[in-house]
Amino acid sequence: MDFKDYYAALGVSESAPPEEIKKAYRKLARKYHPDISKETNAEAKFKDVGEAYEVLKDPEKRAEYDQIRKYGARSDGSFEPPPGWQSASNFGGGGYTEADAGQFSDFFESIFGGAGRGSRQPGGQGFRHNMRMRGEDVHARLALFLEEAYNGCEKQVQFDVTEADAQGRIVRRRKTLNVKIPAGMTSGQHIRLKGQGSPGIGGGSAGDLFIEVELAPHPLFAVNGRDLTMTLPITAPEAALGASIKVPTLGSAVNLKVPKGATSGQKLRLKGKGLQGKHPGDQIVVLQVAMPKHHTEKAQALYQQLAEEEKSFHPRSHLPT
Amino acid sequence: MKKNRSILEADTIGTTTFTLRELCEHGEVHAEFVIKLVNYGVIDPIDGGDAHRWSFDLPALARLRKAQRLQRDLRLNLPGLAMSLELLDDVTELRREVERLNQLLAQLTRE
Repeated sequence: MDFKDYYAALGVSESAPPEEIKKAYRKLARKYHPDISKETNAEAKFKDVGEAYEVLKDPEKRAEYDQIRKYGARSDGSFEPPPGWQSASNFGGGGYTEADAGQFSDFFESIFGGAGRGSRQPGGQGFRHNMRMRGEDVHARLALFLEEAYNGCEKQVQFDVTEADAQGRIVRRRKTLNVKIPAGMTSGQHIRLKGQGSPGIGGGSAGDLFIEVELAPHPLFAVNGRDLTMTLPITAPEAALGASIKVPTLGSAVNLKVPKGATSGQKLRLKGKGLQGKHPGDQIVVLQVAMPKHHTEKAQALYQQLAEEEKSFHPRSHLPT
Repeated sequence: MKKNRSILEADTIGTTTFTLRELCEHGEVHAEFVIKLVNYGVIDPIDGGDAHRWSFDLPALARLRKAQRLQRDLRLNLPGLAMSLELLDDVTELRREVERLNQLLAQLTRE
């Protein structure tokens, strides 16, 4: 087990007064709250900060921790509590903290005792056998490729449920489900699988599984709700004269009519070619006039002719030069 | 241990709604809290009117849970909670927009 430096977690010194610890905790809790932060390890950091504060805010626990800290970590950063160590705060007795001790580290448990990991009962010591309780809902996230979201797909999802074991203790169990994801889901949308969450207790009904969908970035399409946007390079003659161009969509490719006199940045809309649903999205094509890096002598001569022909065109007339 | 190997069809937006009571059950909150969130415009019932007739969609449950976590973890009062959630919505939307624009920009400047 690793030694946890709670002072470092809150970025305070060993001698920090309680007000400073509270202030540091509040600030870091806001910074790393998983609903606020986009940092990849925000959730782990938020838990660390919460655990550190749980100990340091309490004078008794803090004193015990300081003692342990002196005893210290081994040179490799690992930790074993001193032989015969027993916490006076008797955390395992329950009702001691508002926090969910099941969330805390092994290090915390080795010092302050466990509290029936994952228990939802106030008191923390399992539950009464005659109690009837609905199973917990489970909330999970699922990342989909855009193609999967467009076509609908079958996905295997894994998640933890809590259930009672033979002794009546609440334990976690990994559950695997094959889920059919309907076509047309987009980022931030939820699906619900009734009765697939944690089993109920004492004949209570099972909880539900809720899945929030997230779309992985796509190399071609940017997603905005149900609309998809892509850039389409076209040649100068195609822009000038108009053209019919084959364009990929998430379904089969379609022919797009580029109008005569098209320009870079012009948007064309392929109606209903975005993500499907009750109100199907569109595919928006942004034109981009592309130029070859080298021109033949003949082409250069033609460009010169063209320059002469279109000399009344002043694309920079709005610039202050 | 029983493993469910069959393929499950999912309920999606529009097909799942909750009554106030069901929402409280799933969110593990008292109705008073939900009513306050509705009064502050943090979550909206699909159809307004009398609280007994309210129904909520899946995003409302997600929002309720988020509100609950923020209130519990950061000890926000209701006006602070309402404002935080609105700002977080804006931030999420802006982040998505930036991502989208960066992607398009990368395509446009690709050599």
